[in-house]
Amino acid sequence: MPIGGFVITCRPSDREALEEILAGFPPVEVRGADDRGNIVAVIETRTSDEMDDLIEEIGRIEEVLSVGLAYLHAEDEIERIATGGYRPRISLGKRRRAPEDA
Amino acid sequence: MNLTRRDFIKSVAAATAASCAGMSLPLLTGKEARAGGADADRWVRGTCRLCGTGCRVELGMKGDRPVALRGVPGSRTNYGYLCMKGMLFYKVMEHPDRLKKPLYRAKKSDPFTEISWDRALDIAARAFAEPVRASGPDSVAYYGSGQALTEETYLFQKVMRGGLRTNNVEGNPRLCMASAVGGYLTSFGADEPIGGYDGAEHATCFFIIGSNMSECHPVFFRRVMRRKLDDPEGVTVINADPRISATSRIADLHLQFRPGTDLALLNAMAWVILDEKLEDRTFLGNYCTFRVGQDKKEVDLDAYRKSLSAYTPEKAAAICGGNITPERIRRAARLFAKARAAMSCWTMGINQRRRGVWANNLIHNLHLLTGQLLRPGADSFSLTGQPNACGGVREGGGLCHILPGHRLVVKEALRRQMEEIWGIPKGRIPPKPGYHTIAMFQAINAGKIKAIWINCTNPAQSLPNLTPYRKGLRSDGVFVVVTDIFPTRTTECANLVLPTAFHFEKTGVYGCTERRSQLTLKAKDAPGQAMPEVWIVREWALRLAKELGDPVIAKCVEPFAGKEPDYELPRAVWEEYAGKATAGRDNDLRGATYDVLAAMDDGVQWPAPTVEYARKGGTPIKFVKGVDPLADRESKSDLPFEFYGPAHPDRKLWIWLRPYEGAEEEPDEEYPLYLSTGRIIDHWHTGTMTMRIPELLRANPFSFVEIHPKDAKRLSIRPRDMVEIETRRGRVILPAKVKEGPLEGMVFAYWHDMAEDRMINKVTKDAYDPGSKEPEFKICACRIRRVSGPKALTPVIAGL
Repeated sequence: MPIGGFVITCRPSDREALEEILAGFPPVEVRGADDRGNIVAVIETRTSDEMDDLIEEIGRIEEVLSVGLAYLHAEDEIERIATGGYRPRISLGKRRRAPEDA
Repeated sequence: MNLTRRDFIKSVAAATAASCAGMSLPLLTGKEARAGGADADRWVRGTCRLCGTGCRVELGMKGDRPVALRGVPGSRTNYGYLCMKGMLFYKVMEHPDRLKKPLYRAKKSDPFTEISWDRALDIAARAFAEPVRASGPDSVAYYGSGQALTEETYLFQKVMRGGLRTNNVEGNPRLCMASAVGGYLTSFGADEPIGGYDGAEHATCFFIIGSNMSECHPVFFRRVMRRKLDDPEGVTVINADPRISATSRIADLHLQFRPGTDLALLNAMAWVILDEKLEDRTFLGNYCTFRVGQDKKEVDLDAYRKSLSAYTPEKAAAICGGNITPERIRRAARLFAKARAAMSCWTMGINQRRRGVWANNLIHNLHLLTGQLLRPGADSFSLTGQPNACGGVREGGGLCHILPGHRLVVKEALRRQMEEIWGIPKGRIPPKPGYHTIAMFQAINAGKIKAIWINCTNPAQSLPNLTPYRKGLRSDGVFVVVTDIFPTRTTECANLVLPTAFHFEKTGVYGCTERRSQLTLKAKDAPGQAMPEVWIVREWALRLAKELGDPVIAKCVEPFAGKEPDYELPRAVWEEYAGKATAGRDNDLRGATYDVLAAMDDGVQWPAPTVEYARKGGTPIKFVKGVDPLADRESKSDLPFEFYGPAHPDRKLWIWLRPYEGAEEEPDEEYPLYLSTGRIIDHWHTGTMTMRIPELLRANPFSFVEIHPKDAKRLSIRPRDMVEIETRRGRVILPAKVKEGPLEGMVFAYWHDMAEDRMINKVTKDAYDPGSKEPEFKICACRIRRVSGPKALTPVIAGL
């Protein structure tokens, strides 16, 4: 299961509110924060698909200015790709989305 | 993964992220560390290859398999931060669609057949030798990439110019940054930025124009954002763009102008600077001259001032439209001129224009008028889209008019220098520049080019006004060799497809936006029979020499004979390029040996003429005596700066008088809307890599068109309706996204989609800047209409 280390940044005045919002996302563990608006979070998801969805969702939170990645460990998933247990879908569009409305 | 192992990996992830932010978290206990083992057996150094920022990244390996990625906190390019697209590229390495064997077909209507490397190289040699014999050297061409390693571009162009005697050497950076090259050369006398990324930590005013930096250069944008957050009152961000984007979120002032009117806006800011006496008279007097016209005639300040009288804030506001008012122009000019340090940043919105060079000049003018240059945070800083457009193509000789080391083809003395370095006969390099990109593909259509080698790029999707050029590439009148890692729209036009090693599957150097060269080492073998390009070129050249009976071609690769391709071969190519071809040039990289590059957290900024100097990181700000060794060496006065750029023999910085000119094709009654195009953060360039990564594919599986709500209402278009975009070149159909991003009267479409009916470059215009030859992707006229309600679409990936 992919595990990522992130720095999520907001305006310092929004940090506490954002930490509360992030607490509502079970895969997100807040590991630390500072008074410059940086929140260190570890995110573990079943697949990197899910992690990407989650990052996108976090990016849409009004208080979030940036989601920076520093580390990603995906040994299990890469093993599955390399051994043929998982073939990344490239054109099936099974989970494709329509463009979102403004 | 068991619980303790997972906890260990999480702790590593948290600690790595915290170190980027300058925070400290509790260290792992000895028990945790022992239980967790190691997250990787070894970490291999490299740079990200997915944009032009040049983020330092390390690939974690277990055996021959990648397992993790991390940033490098000590690197001055990115201080440990990466972005999603960079983090996910390991999937490209393991992807089952990778090209693994050479493929050949005599006719493009035939299916491909797998063949051996021996046969493939023989075929490639014959395919180029025959037209050279029959029609001369200029009947063959090379079209390369800002994603190719410097060693690859250098070696390809060496064989083409020195071996085959043609300057038909081009690359896709012509499509994205040629106007920036033209701007730097004509304003400062030397290509590439004066400063670097670390200006972001010192600037007190950011002028971001024609760049959605938040989405296209997210890691650098983070630094700008951080600077703004850390000093919200002291730092000002001006964002000038016809479209509101994520970059606008941190802006204090958003200047939303009608597409193509930025020359008027920039001239108006200059007018305010002079009118309010905000110029730096000392800087102007010591270092600047004023120039006008094709003959570069020198004029005085009064003539310049007079030329700006057509762009008073009131007149310019009327030209610019949008939200531009005279007061906004005045405010922007004052913020810029009065800042302790002002940094301009731009990219394709300025460059991909019929007057892209002029637009670059007018940005530089603001810096020259106010002396906002040559100190930390004061810089006129063009951002580059690809990882090695600067290092490989601009510096390594990857365009039709330039030789390695920023040498112009037309200068005989500079051709002689390269011939001496290469040990080939005098006069071997032809004096005439080759075809620029659009001319090259027009020459294919005209039957003048009989064989082309396309390396690591996808012109069958990325060229503007695509349809006629695809038709030409698909004809059997031209033999097309493609080296790449995946099937693309261009491999569909190929006779011969050669599988290549991907990043971390080979060794080589990338040079990023800020004149910084960085080394990536091979971490694992390429899949199947894929090979590094430097090996392919060497072996091809040896066969070409036999086919043509020309020992000079073999001479071009003689220094690299017999070297193993994973490290010794690229190292030898780099040693020749950096050690000989850049010697004494403004991009002197003699000190940046592989050993030095491998020892640096973040590489070396040129000029770096000695190993001792390179080990300190090179030159952070060009032209400053005491900082830039070439400025000291070239010093002609007691002044603190020396402008030794090769294009300005007077050693001055030139302020250009450039009038406002609009786009080549403006909206009219028939085609009443502006069409602009760009990329989205999840997809990069034509999507040949990113579209294969499921996370990125899923996020934005197909292109869409952004329409202003007022236009949508007027045309009865609802969100997700299917909308036809029609221009004088053709039509495409895309789903609608209704939002206040573009101005009213403008639509914006993305260009990563490979579906036949959604490829936006079928409708863009191939007009180009007369100086830089860069096409005007950013602006043309279109009309739109609703064709249906929402429709399920299928993402398309090219295959063979």
